[in-house]
Amino acid sequence: MKPPALVLSVVGARPNFIKLAPVARALGQRQVRHVIVHTGQHYDADMSDAFFRDLEIPEPDFNLAVGSGSHAQQTAAVMERLDPLCSELRPDVVLVYGDVNSTAAAALVAAKLGLPLGHVEAGLRSRDRTMPEEINRIVADRLSDILFAPSRDGYDNLLSEGIPPQRIQFVGNIMIDSLLRALPAARQLDASSRHGVRRGEYTVVTLHRPSNVDEPGVLQELLRALSDIAADRPVLFPVHPRTSRRMTALGFQAGARVQVFEPVPYLEMLSLVMSAGLVVTDSGGLQEETTFLGIPCLTVRPNTERPITCTEGTNKLVPPHRDAIVSAARAALAGTASAAPTIERWDGSAGERIAAVLCDGARFD
Amino acid sequence: MRLLTVLGARPQFVKAAPLSRALHGHHEEVLVHTGQHDDHLMSAVFFGELGIASPAHHLGVGSGTHAAQTAAMLVRLEALMIADRPDAVLVYGDSNSTLAGALTAAKLQIPVAHVEAGLRSFNRSLPEEHNRIITDHLSNWLFVPSAIGERHLRTEGVAAGVFIVGDIMLDATLQHVGRAEQVSRYPGAAGVGPGDYYLCTVHRAENTDAPERLTGILSGLSRLNKPVVFPVHPRTRQALVEFGLLPGSNVHLIDPVGYLDMLQLVRNSSAVLTDSGGVQKEAYYLEAPCVTLRTETEWVETVAVGWNRLAAADADAIVEAVDGLPSGRPAHPPLYGSGDTAQQIVRVLDGCR
Repeated sequence: MKPPALVLSVVGARPNFIKLAPVARALGQRQVRHVIVHTGQHYDADMSDAFFRDLEIPEPDFNLAVGSGSHAQQTAAVMERLDPLCSELRPDVVLVYGDVNSTAAAALVAAKLGLPLGHVEAGLRSRDRTMPEEINRIVADRLSDILFAPSRDGYDNLLSEGIPPQRIQFVGNIMIDSLLRALPAARQLDASSRHGVRRGEYTVVTLHRPSNVDEPGVLQELLRALSDIAADRPVLFPVHPRTSRRMTALGFQAGARVQVFEPVPYLEMLSLVMSAGLVVTDSGGLQEETTFLGIPCLTVRPNTERPITCTEGTNKLVPPHRDAIVSAARAALAGTASAAPTIERWDGSAGERIAAVLCDGARFD
Repeated sequence: MRLLTVLGARPQFVKAAPLSRALHGHHEEVLVHTGQHDDHLMSAVFFGELGIASPAHHLGVGSGTHAAQTAAMLVRLEALMIADRPDAVLVYGDSNSTLAGALTAAKLQIPVAHVEAGLRSFNRSLPEEHNRIITDHLSNWLFVPSAIGERHLRTEGVAAGVFIVGDIMLDATLQHVGRAEQVSRYPGAAGVGPGDYYLCTVHRAENTDAPERLTGILSGLSRLNKPVVFPVHPRTRQALVEFGLLPGSNVHLIDPVGYLDMLQLVRNSSAVLTDSGGVQKEAYYLEAPCVTLRTETEWVETVAVGWNRLAAADADAIVEAVDGLPSGRPAHPPLYGSGDTAQQIVRVLDGCR
């Protein structure tokens, strides 16, 4: 198999960059020309120079600057701006990551131009069509020529949807590549002591999903749960400005034991998570990171596209009810720490495997 | 229910006509024309001929690359769906309008009904194949023409909401063929007599964009033993001019014709040569043997019963396929229902009120 002369990666949101970094590194080692297109879907203040430096990601070659908008507007803007670029560059492979609007939009552009398409983090399914991410995953997976699955269950999902096995590559979890690489620096950072909390004795909370933060009644319930949890152990709550405004609108006053602060860079976040006693979240990536690190995690969602974190890992789904969250948190904190589970191919080599598939025709099933 | 129907390509208007009629009195329907195909003859005239209302909304998207066209539709459909808040969105077939309608609705959590679901060519280089696969995977009701469609969907893990209802185009053909005979001036208007000509249509990008394929088709047509009536799609005309291609003297290039004229031309032809999915089926329903100018078809049943042959875009293969067409009348089983597809769809939707 001839190595690709040009790989084009499309990324749009913070988690996309974390997944891109190991791929970029592995392609770089093989000296494959790799063009990175940032759609500009998310502009996060925390996606600053430090973010790129922490993750050792090369600066994007192009920024499409699509900005925010409705799902259709954002998807459309990515398509309109990426289409001429892909037509001009004619990459040998287009890579898309995860499940954001940029993922689906770039997949559509590549497929319509007949460009070979690879999806990194393929095969995840929550079976919840009310999640826009689920729609994006389905679109990207159906259009892809190479589907890079992070876990065995993702591989099986794709098989059960009739994707021919030769198109599926079980390369492992790319997020873990980034995590493993960052771990020593995160350990050294010792963010917990900088926040004045003791290792293993605090809870990290992140909430951003519309279903949790857009409905005042639900958000109120969650905030009450946090206050209850904080009565036992301090809570660190990095919160997006949008969520923060909604909290202010509800008249939320953080008690002394709830620290509310703006989102922190990747390394600092990892440093906080790795020393936490408990994580409460609705994010996808944190479910995996906590499982890998052996940190108990409560996911405030009715379902997860990462069920392996529940069956083999430390994750537990909880409904958005104060009592349920508080009692689950107490149970988790009272439990004895268990060794981090070993999950097949969550080993830091996913990026290398992806490069081997693209360049050497390697096969991972 | 209140349905919002997204149409854009000419065959979609044909498919929508019988269902619109059947929905009347059962469900409210708002028609939206994306503007994907937008020359006068290819859409406006259709509404008159088909007896359906003109669309309530015209998005005026027009031509562009696949991505640009789809993108423009997404934005305009989203605004419309948010304003209109339908209970369900109805899409047909496999065009960019189909995909855009389904994707927009799915993101807005509006249930999607896909008419002509479950078709597969298994050729992933065709944009239509992507459109139909994604639409199927985003749909809540999948109305498939035959058991093969259901099987394709099951293979892809889609089992819920699948209904085998037959082909909506058969409804349309049966409803309009009588009137076509009354009002159409064809085939005489093309200078040919009934049963004494072949009918050819070519519109697919893989045939019009490749000079060698278009040349292959034209030289195949020129070697046939009868006149060929060839209504020329605008894209095909443009390609003929661009590549400087001239057909043989037995090939009569004519302007695109309306739906009724087309039915009349199909019905009276001694055989049809086409790369259109819809025309393959019309040929079958009207008992004209068919040569398909593609390497594969979604309508595999018509091939299995011997009425359709695949010839790609190769002159020798075309001549050979025409020679090999059945001379008598082979068995003609009902492959795609009996023409009550619209009624069946309405009954399913009635159950979801």
